[in-house]
Formats: sequence, C-alpha cells, structure tokens
Amino acid sequence: MMGEWIRFGVTAALLLIALISFTAAVFGANRFGFIMNRLHAAGIGDTLGIFGVILGLIIAAGFTMYSLKLLLIIVFMWFTSPVSSHFVIQVEYFTNPHLYRNVDRETKESEE
Amino acid sequence: MKNKFLRWLDGDVDLMEHVLDTAEVPDHTRDEIKTREEEEEKLLIERYRELGQKSFYTVYHVVAIISCVLLIGVLLFTVARLPEYGHENPRTVEVVSRYVEKGLEETGAINIVSGMILDYRAFDTLGESHVLFTALICVMILLRIDKKNMRTDYEDYYTIKQDAYFDTSQDTIMRKVGMVLMPCIFLFGIYVLLNGQNSPGGGFSGGAIMGAALILFTASFGFEKVDEFFTLKLSVVITFVSLAFYSFAKGYVFFTGANGLENGIPKGIPGAILSGGLILPLDIAVGLVVACTMFGFYSLFKRGSIGGA
Repeated sequence: MMGEWIRFGVTAALLLIALISFTAAVFGANRFGFIMNRLHAAGIGDTLGIFGVILGLIIAAGFTMYSLKLLLIIVFMWFTSPVSSHFVIQVEYFTNPHLYRNVDRETKESEE
Repeated sequence: MKNKFLRWLDGDVDLMEHVLDTAEVPDHTRDEIKTREEEEEKLLIERYRELGQKSFYTVYHVVAIISCVLLIGVLLFTVARLPEYGHENPRTVEVVSRYVEKGLEETGAINIVSGMILDYRAFDTLGESHVLFTALICVMILLRIDKKNMRTDYEDYYTIKQDAYFDTSQDTIMRKVGMVLMPCIFLFGIYVLLNGQNSPGGGFSGGAIMGAALILFTASFGFEKVDEFFTLKLSVVITFVSLAFYSFAKGYVFFTGANGLENGIPKGIPGAILSGGLILPLDIAVGLVVACTMFGFYSLFKRGSIGGA
C-alpha cells in the first residue's frame, strides 16, 4: 500500500515537472523575439518535458517491454532534438549579418 | 586614374557605360498602362470577332454556369442521401462486418488493415505504388541535371560554393549522431516492414522509415558514400522488379479467385512472420518502392540527380 502511494507521488512529481517545463517552452517559443532564445525555450520542452512525461509513465506502468520502448523514445529525442537545434542556429549564424545586435558580446559591437 | 577608380568605387561613375545598353525606357504612369491594356484587350476581342468566334464568350459562360450547377446538384443529392448522423448505414455495415469477422480467416493477417489494403483491395494499393513511381519520374523530368540542361560553369561554381556552405556532412556532431542513429532507424524500418501483417505498420510506413534512414545517412556522411551502393540503375531495377512482382502476383491471385480456383498460396499460422499468404511479399515490394521514391525525391531536390549520374 505504501509502495503504491510512493509510486503515485513520484509519477505526479515527474508529470508536474514536465508540465512546468512544457509551459515554459510554449511561452518562450511564442513570446521571445530572437531565434536563439526561442530555440532554447523549445529545447527545454523537447528534453526535460519529454523526459518527465515518459519517465513518469514508465514508473506508473512498471517495468515491462513497453516501458523499455518508451525509454528508447527518450534516448531518441535526446539525440535528435539538440542536433536539429544546432543546425538551425548554425544557419542563423551563417546568414544573419546583424547577429551581434541580439547577442550580448561587447568585443564585437563594431561589426554592427 | 586613381581618382576615377575611387569614384567608381563609390558608385558615381560607371566604367562599363558604353558597353551596356542605355536606351531610355519611358516611365509610364499607372493610368497610361491601364488604358493601353484596355485598348489591347479591345483589339484582341475584335480579332476574335473577325475570326468568327463571336459566340465564344457566350458559350463559355453558359458552359461554366451549367457545369457549376450540375456539380452543386450532384453534391447536394449525395449529401441528402447520406445516412443520418448516428444511424447505421446498412450497405457499409455489410462490407465492414465481413472484413472484421472473416478477415483473419480469409487473409491470414492479424492486422485487419493490412489484410484489407493488400488482399481485399490490393488493386488500390497497386495504383498508389504506381502513383509514387510516376511522381518520381515527373520530378526527375523536371529537376534532373544532365549534360543537356547543365548550367554554365560560372553558375555551377556558385551553387557548389553555396552547397558546401550548408553541408551538414562536414559537421562532427552530425557524423557521430548519424553513426549511432542510422543503423537503429534502418533496423526499425525493416521491423515495421516485416511485421505489417501482425502489428500496425506495413509497406508504406516501413518504406518511409527506411527512406528517412537513407536521407539521414546522406546528411551525415555525404552523397559520395551513398553513391557507392545506391545508383540510379539500382533504384530503377528495385522499383521495376517490385512493381512487376506486385502486378503479376496479384493478377494471378485475382485471376484464380475470379474463376473459383485454388491459388495454392499457404496462409501460415496467424502471428508468425511468415504468414498471411502474399501480404508479406507485397509489403516488402511496396516498402522498397516507397524507400526508393523518398530518397529519390531528396536527392533530386538537393542536387538534381540520383546516384551521381
């Protein structure tokens, strides 16, 4: 009985963490003005939010074959999401001539 | 001389002025252009009348109105005859209940959707595969770069430079991630392809995953590595053999079935990989066509050729 309650509490806490990070991701991706900030916010949802939701579901369902598949989803998302963000930022870095207006970097102010 | 160079640098003097065509283009106002267009239109209409096509516009309008009214009428008639929301439609229930009740017995596939699209309605899927193949041919006609429509060397230099600018295969992160992920995605695609008759999946989804794995392979290691095994000839051979096999196998089954003959294809035990009669081979054929088409689209849109040829 006690174990069930502990499992429920851990699941609820993980889902709550995921909910908070997804809220931050949604607000950040829509409200920020500059693409790097927006991608940072979206990356929080893709990593911490997915991690919280899926780990919570694994703990709630117990360790079965399906939980292993869910674990693979976490691994996949943690591999792919940062790589895609990396390339989007790289294109921004190569194509935006006014990049340093949005980046706080004092030594490069003359390039504006 | 130096002074002239500096002025040219500032944009005040154009050294190539005598070479370029400097004929003055008159600057029309918007009203002038409008009146001129109206005059030209009147002239065209008069020319039509001279040719004896006086009634062309009348007929055109009448035909347009009649076809619109007919289309609206047919659609409204169909909507009026649809069963009410929430009520059973006896005609569809007959077909659907046949699929659900006898699908496993007649096709040998646990996944009834697979049994439907590759057994009961295999001609539909055959058409879809041919549509994919036709789409690939159309894209190849439009976008393929060969000696006949090669651009000049000057342009090619700039496109090559631009491609190298965004080349993901030079990136260490992409290479390492591709090395880890590519085999897993390919294996997952084969798993989905081979389990089409037992679990959700099948030819289209498995082929799409395999095509995505090929695209990822290209993005992380470059086109040179893919060209070593995936040439245009291989792609054409795979697509042709798959579609021909599909057509002949399903044609044979439909011919025997329509004439009340036994086709002699074992159904197997439901749930095993080798089960479902022809569903597994047809799944593999469709999956190979889809994988070739997806990678062909990517390759043609990215650099205008498949397999570097």
